[in-house]
Amino acid sequence: MAKKHVDRAVLALLIVMAVLLFNSTAGYTGIALKTSAKYVQFLAVSIGVLSVIQLGFNIFKEQPSVKLKLTDNMGRFVGLLICLVLFAAAFETLGFFIPAAIFIPVVAVLLGYRRPVVIGLTTVGVLIFVYLVFIQLLSVNLPGLEFLGGV
Amino acid sequence: MFEYIQIVFSFEALLTIAIGTVAGVAIGGMPGLTATMAVGLLVPFTYTMDPTMGLMLLGGIYCGAMYGGSIPAILLNTPGTPAAVATAIEGYPMSKQGRGALALKVSVTASFVGGTFSVMILLLFAPFLARQALAFGPAETFLLALMGLAGIVSIADENSSLIKALIAGLIGMIIAVIGTDDMSGSLRYTMGMIELIDGIDFMPALIGLFSMIQMLELAGAHSHAIDTSLIDKQNKREPMPKGISKHIALGSGTGTLIGILPGEGATIAAFISYNFSKRISKVRELFGKGNPEGIAAAEAGNNGCVGGSLVPTLTLGIPGNSVAAALMGAFIIHGMIPGPELFNEYADRTYPFIISMFVANGVFLIVGLTFAPYLARIALIPPAIMVPVVSAFAVLGSYALNNAVFDVYMMIGFALGGLVLKKLGFSLEALILGLILGPIAEGGFTQGMIIGHGSPMIFFESSIAKVMWVIIGVLLIPPLYSYLKSKRT
Repeated sequence: MAKKHVDRAVLALLIVMAVLLFNSTAGYTGIALKTSAKYVQFLAVSIGVLSVIQLGFNIFKEQPSVKLKLTDNMGRFVGLLICLVLFAAAFETLGFFIPAAIFIPVVAVLLGYRRPVVIGLTTVGVLIFVYLVFIQLLSVNLPGLEFLGGV
Repeated sequence: MFEYIQIVFSFEALLTIAIGTVAGVAIGGMPGLTATMAVGLLVPFTYTMDPTMGLMLLGGIYCGAMYGGSIPAILLNTPGTPAAVATAIEGYPMSKQGRGALALKVSVTASFVGGTFSVMILLLFAPFLARQALAFGPAETFLLALMGLAGIVSIADENSSLIKALIAGLIGMIIAVIGTDDMSGSLRYTMGMIELIDGIDFMPALIGLFSMIQMLELAGAHSHAIDTSLIDKQNKREPMPKGISKHIALGSGTGTLIGILPGEGATIAAFISYNFSKRISKVRELFGKGNPEGIAAAEAGNNGCVGGSLVPTLTLGIPGNSVAAALMGAFIIHGMIPGPELFNEYADRTYPFIISMFVANGVFLIVGLTFAPYLARIALIPPAIMVPVVSAFAVLGSYALNNAVFDVYMMIGFALGGLVLKKLGFSLEALILGLILGPIAEGGFTQGMIIGHGSPMIFFESSIAKVMWVIIGVLLIPPLYSYLKSKRT
């Protein structure tokens, strides 16, 4: 999709959001009407006006038709995103350590790294570091330790 | 005073300060772990310690953490603390040019000077300054947030649109509105999600917009080969840039002054110092492309807040920021109620605590200068190893702050949305600045409106407010004028 079209779509969306935001302040009650509502109205008007100006520049100024390119390698980019979502999804049930022990080598291989010893040592190093610093030193309550037997 | 110095320079005290400072640097260097969290967690542990030693440990963590945030900001474009966002703007481009070691050296030196200067001010003028800070009300707090937001104009340069930078800042401020309205107690824009009742935390946003975007871009890069010319550049030891001292001095003064005022001072201080620095720089065009002057001002600014924030904390019992609030808890636990008594009845604990912060600044200076050349080599780690490791820490850091998986999804969402905005030319630094300063601005605005009985004239009445409007004008008008001039030509 052309960059200028995405830009226009985002700016149009911001203008719609500004209108909705301004209208939403009608629902404020009591003291919020004279305080928070005014602040939100200020934000809504500011972003609305600026988005209209920017949209005007975008439409009336001659722009080259460049394609919006998020990444050079869509496969790796989407792969990392999927791995991240799966990591987050597994976090609550499996905890940090098991998903991380899978996530790090899988992403390294996905990105083309082919040295199993380095990947293995890095993964183990990260897990030991997290255990010592986060669990032992800072007592951060990570889920999943109960799964391993409760530490 | 000599006896207090003796206490600080005992072996036990020096070891305690060193451990606290090094731990602080490590904590500040990890996105998701904050100085507030570390000090808060360790306060109960100091209960069994000698009060003076316990306070020195916490003071070391505070000093170390404020500096530590700059390390990943420079090396990985991942600010360890929000106050290091301005540092990342200049530090990361320097790192990519193979000048990471110099950036780290400038950062640690500026942090040391800013921190030391602010502790000196705390030691000499605390009671006097605390009385002045009391004249600073909600209206002035709102104006202070506006001064910080004026930094958005500085972020926009000849390569990015000023209007888009302002829009990005406003998007951040609008995101910050989500959650419970402090005035009415009602929920705003939470879409029925209980996770949004307390609003959107800035930490997952910070990690998503800086760290994760960086990793997504690296993962999708055409080539993963390391630029070997960087190895030679890393090995060269660059001297400190000429004229850097005036930027450090500017940041130190600004940071200390802002730190004295109650509120989240360090981020505002860093951005205002950065903005001032850009205004006085002779090489303004290099800002945003790796200018050490920007690092010097921002780091001196945020470390200047350390001593400054303790002025109202120790003398009035009004914490300058969240870390100072946690430190105040430590004082109270040890039976020391903040106020004039700290400097009279408990002088044998309070003064050694303040003096210990000079030592803490010295400790992180030595650590920073010693390890800078080695840390800079992080830029040489293969992206295929760096991406999964940093991503795993990004997930962990997002989760650790509130123990919420929802924050991890927020982080991924911010990364994806932020990447689209970045590709369209919106400034992510402006967005995060709006997100961090939005609640401070709203708090000051709404309270000011109540005090002013609904009249906005409250924001123009006091003499401090008038001076602040002049400073805001000075910060905004010249760049706006040059922007409009460049548009016309």
